[in-house]
Amino acid sequence: MDKILLALSTLCFAGGFLYVVTALREGKPRRNTWANFAVVLVGFVLLSVVLHLRGQLHGRCPVTNGAEILLFLSWSILLFYFLVGRAFRLSLLGTFTEPIVFVFLATSFGMLAISDPGARPVDSVDPWHELHISVALLSFGAFALAGIAGVMYLVQDRQLKKQQLGTLFYQMPPIRYLSDAIVRLVGIGTLLLTIGIVSAFLQESEPDPKHFSLAFVVWIAYAVLLVWNFSGKSTPKRTALGAIAVFAFPLLLLVAL
Amino acid sequence: MSILCLGVNYKTAPVEIRERLAFSESELEERLREITRLKGVEESVVLSTCNRVEVYASADDHPCAFDELTRFLVDHFDIEATDVEFYHLEDEGAARHLFKVASGLDSMVLGETEIFGQVKKAYHTAHDAHTTARRMNKLFQQSFRIGKLLRSGTEIQQGSTSVGSVAVDLAEKIFGRLMGCRVMVIGAGEMSRQTAQSLLSRGASSIIVSNRSFDKAELLAAELKGEAVRFDDWEKVLSEVDIVVSSTSAPHAIIHPEMIEKVIPKRGGRSLFLIDIAVPRDIEPAVNTIDNVYLYDIDFLEKVAADARVKRRKQIAACESLIEKHIGEKGIEALRDVKKSSPVSRSGAPANPNQESPVESMSDSPSLTDR
Repeated sequence: MDKILLALSTLCFAGGFLYVVTALREGKPRRNTWANFAVVLVGFVLLSVVLHLRGQLHGRCPVTNGAEILLFLSWSILLFYFLVGRAFRLSLLGTFTEPIVFVFLATSFGMLAISDPGARPVDSVDPWHELHISVALLSFGAFALAGIAGVMYLVQDRQLKKQQLGTLFYQMPPIRYLSDAIVRLVGIGTLLLTIGIVSAFLQESEPDPKHFSLAFVVWIAYAVLLVWNFSGKSTPKRTALGAIAVFAFPLLLLVAL
Repeated sequence: MSILCLGVNYKTAPVEIRERLAFSESELEERLREITRLKGVEESVVLSTCNRVEVYASADDHPCAFDELTRFLVDHFDIEATDVEFYHLEDEGAARHLFKVASGLDSMVLGETEIFGQVKKAYHTAHDAHTTARRMNKLFQQSFRIGKLLRSGTEIQQGSTSVGSVAVDLAEKIFGRLMGCRVMVIGAGEMSRQTAQSLLSRGASSIIVSNRSFDKAELLAAELKGEAVRFDDWEKVLSEVDIVVSSTSAPHAIIHPEMIEKVIPKRGGRSLFLIDIAVPRDIEPAVNTIDNVYLYDIDFLEKVAADARVKRRKQIAACESLIEKHIGEKGIEALRDVKKSSPVSRSGAPANPNQESPVESMSDSPSLTDR
């Protein structure tokens, strides 16, 4: 059942992305805003059900293998999209989010279809360990969305500099909203990662040194990015580039996990 | 029963005549009641903007009603009948004209949206004065429906058609809402004034004006409710402003990259939007290579505006076809079907206490006036 729902959710994001790209190419994207939002919402609800089912299977937070980590990460990205993207009128953020979520979900579906490790229950659930994993993955969701907003910033900056006022230009959010969103998302992600790192020290088992080192490097990198931004020595473009570049570290961390 | 339209617009009468025919807002309700008391006239709506003065009416005997309306306007505004030539439209012609007016097809700036709000206001004023009944209600509600249909179904209102509005669109793509944005105008010319006014109308909070002649700077600053700065001092306020509109008559560039680079660290990461509408240009093009600084010159702004005008002109046929389709299918036929069920009384009060209410709210009316 969870794989069927996962397949449907994956199709939602693939379909939603194609829908918007087609509309943009036709030069009439505005009429599709709400339809696209509905598709993303349905995909998100289906993904939430998948995670719920996987959680019930294991009796704990469903992050027991690479496929589930991708599922949880996708869910985190979407959660922040709903929280930040809509609030800041960054509707097109969904368009940029959809392909990434689609790739993550399709990869996850492929992994589970080929070899689903099945239930991995534990004798007793360590709440600090669960908190550590879930909050750390949520922070990566925020960092991923900051990276996506960073890409959008660079696209809009290029269009403004090169004076290319096409359909995409008029559909993109104001460049100031994007730079604000990047800083907020990096701030939220850093705060969550701080909680994740602290909770790792409180769990019953010793934190894995490799994971801990990588997480700490990521934390340092984002903290430096924030300080650099608030010190006034950075420019919004450099902060956007930083948000994209530093996200490479969480990706490395995921691969390592 | 016929629908009539009698009036003048910017195509048929010069501004000297149009300004004499303009109805003042405060007396409009009373004038509407006087019009409906004219022989043969049942209902009336007056659309009075700076580009047109039109009376829409329903009447039993249209030749007589046209004569009465003409006499009323000539007498009321104290003009010679030979000085002005009113156009007379009836039934399909009058409906078609109103639909075009409401959609911006008959406007000086093709596809402009302000007129839609002004038509709505004219109708609501007449409704409040009880000079409309079912026929005018239906006609105007159809015009609002067609206006919306053309706005969503065609590209007649897309793009910005003036340098000022292109500049405002770009500013909004950089800053979002312009609320709180500070603007500096260097050079107190007409183009600067227009661009600054466009920015102010969209929420820019304050204007600083600098000009070689300080008197001129003070005059423009007073007009824009801003502040004048001596020409030697404009560099000092550069770090405080978000948008710079430059249009001096200097024979060489007055804003150089090193000037901008000097103020960037003081700006706290805020973008700087530079609009160069001077010829020869006031701002060195190399300024555009600085991070977070966006420079646009007059050629580019003119080109975007011209492209939008061409694009809108290409939409005229599609719009007219939609209007004809509407008239052919249900428009004027529906109006003809209206029986004389609720004529307006000679006093202007509604003869029928259950007079149809306007279905359109004013909430979505553009607030700007037709200029």
